[in-house]
Amino acid sequence: MASASTGPHPVPADAPAAAVSVQGLRKVINDRVVLNDLDFAIPRGSMFALLGANGAGKSTLLKILAGLMPPTGGRVHLFGAPLAGHAADLRSRIGFLGHNAMLYRELSARENLVFFGRMHGLADVGRRAEDLLEQLGLADRMHDPVKAFSRGMLQRAAIARALLCDPELLLADEPFTGLDAPSARTLEALLRSLHAQGRTIVFTNHDVAQSIALATSVDAVGHGGVFVLGHGRLIINQHARLLDAAMVHLEMSDR
Amino acid sequence: MTTTLGRIMLLVAKDLRIEARGRQTIAIVLVLGILIIVVLGIGFGSPGSSGQPVTGFQATAILWVAYFFGGVLCFEKTMDVERRDDALAGLLMTPVDRGAIYVAKLLTNLTLIAGLTIVITPLAVMFFRFDLAGHAGAFVAILALGMVGFAAIGTLFAAAASSTRLQGGLLAMLVFPLCLPVVIVSTQMMRELFLPGGQLSMPGLALLAGFDLMALTVGWLVFEQVLEP
Repeated sequence: MASASTGPHPVPADAPAAAVSVQGLRKVINDRVVLNDLDFAIPRGSMFALLGANGAGKSTLLKILAGLMPPTGGRVHLFGAPLAGHAADLRSRIGFLGHNAMLYRELSARENLVFFGRMHGLADVGRRAEDLLEQLGLADRMHDPVKAFSRGMLQRAAIARALLCDPELLLADEPFTGLDAPSARTLEALLRSLHAQGRTIVFTNHDVAQSIALATSVDAVGHGGVFVLGHGRLIINQHARLLDAAMVHLEMSDR
Repeated sequence: MTTTLGRIMLLVAKDLRIEARGRQTIAIVLVLGILIIVVLGIGFGSPGSSGQPVTGFQATAILWVAYFFGGVLCFEKTMDVERRDDALAGLLMTPVDRGAIYVAKLLTNLTLIAGLTIVITPLAVMFFRFDLAGHAGAFVAILALGMVGFAAIGTLFAAAASSTRLQGGLLAMLVFPLCLPVVIVSTQMMRELFLPGGQLSMPGLALLAGFDLMALTVGWLVFEQVLEP
């Protein structure tokens, strides 16, 4: 994988405004360079979309940011604190929404949330679980085992789990995948609402148009490095051909 | 604030609740255990068959074969619960110590193995007609110490295998050589127990306890490294 040019956006790791800052991030899996010398920063309160084809490294990047996967090299700071050595403390400030629901399928949605809430050490977790499930339209199915849920319902239950500890940073890996149009609209509205509350959201997406519709400024990174494509528009140039491995930074407008 | 002990209890309760809902592990483990006792018992010649009756050594060896393969299935199934739908990643996003996950999985596995032994041991006693009543305490002591070491190794390797898709018979092949000291010592101790005038071997017990301590320490220390979402 080729090393790419570095754009002007990368900021120092200790920048106080950065929810996420990454310096020289590198990840090698089975002798394959997935991420190569990545530098970027995500300001607090922004919405950051990562675009790219399967295998581009989006999920790997999110797992590294979530502290679920160690990087091969480089530094990751969340809220100014280094992730290495502080992952346990930072986990309660991060919500992670993965490809899969990350729930126990034999347990009900409520039981799952209560379990994860207790593991987080949250107080009054039963009430919190019920409130979240109600907000996400699962109140009438909260006692059903999640294995009986449709894809959309499962995704909503997974979102409830990710929001359980009221995270400052939400990492969502392809949250729109498999959702029907109404569910996708509900999720989009939820992301907007969370963003309006000042949370930082990082999500991956295969739908360029959907991501651009949410954005006012666009950066892109691909093939392991950063390609700055411009602000306010997505510049389709030679780098666009590299979108199979690209990530696009989309800062959502306050609308 | 949930303590580490509290989180371990939560994890065990969750695992047992899932098992109670699906009975996916205990049912298959019991069937396997019973089949091993019956098939090997018949093969070696159970009392009443035309061949030579099973000796005490053979009986304890057959029991350990059933414990071993049933146990390996338990280790696989309890880790499989975490792998389905990436539930493990959700768990690892909580501030739980990964060593606590190891202890919880170990306790769950020991609970399930205890269920296995409670069912198949009396079955073997009936099938092979050996006198357990006179040595029940010693038998339980050997079994308990043997199972802790076996489960400590098995839990660790099941976690490693689950992240590398190294499943099925391969896990048994990995675990067996490492658990060989436990199997050999336990089988020998049980055989001696059922000899006329047989007594519990204290050096053997110390050996098992030492193995347990070593296996638990290694499992606790290494589990974090092998547990990948």
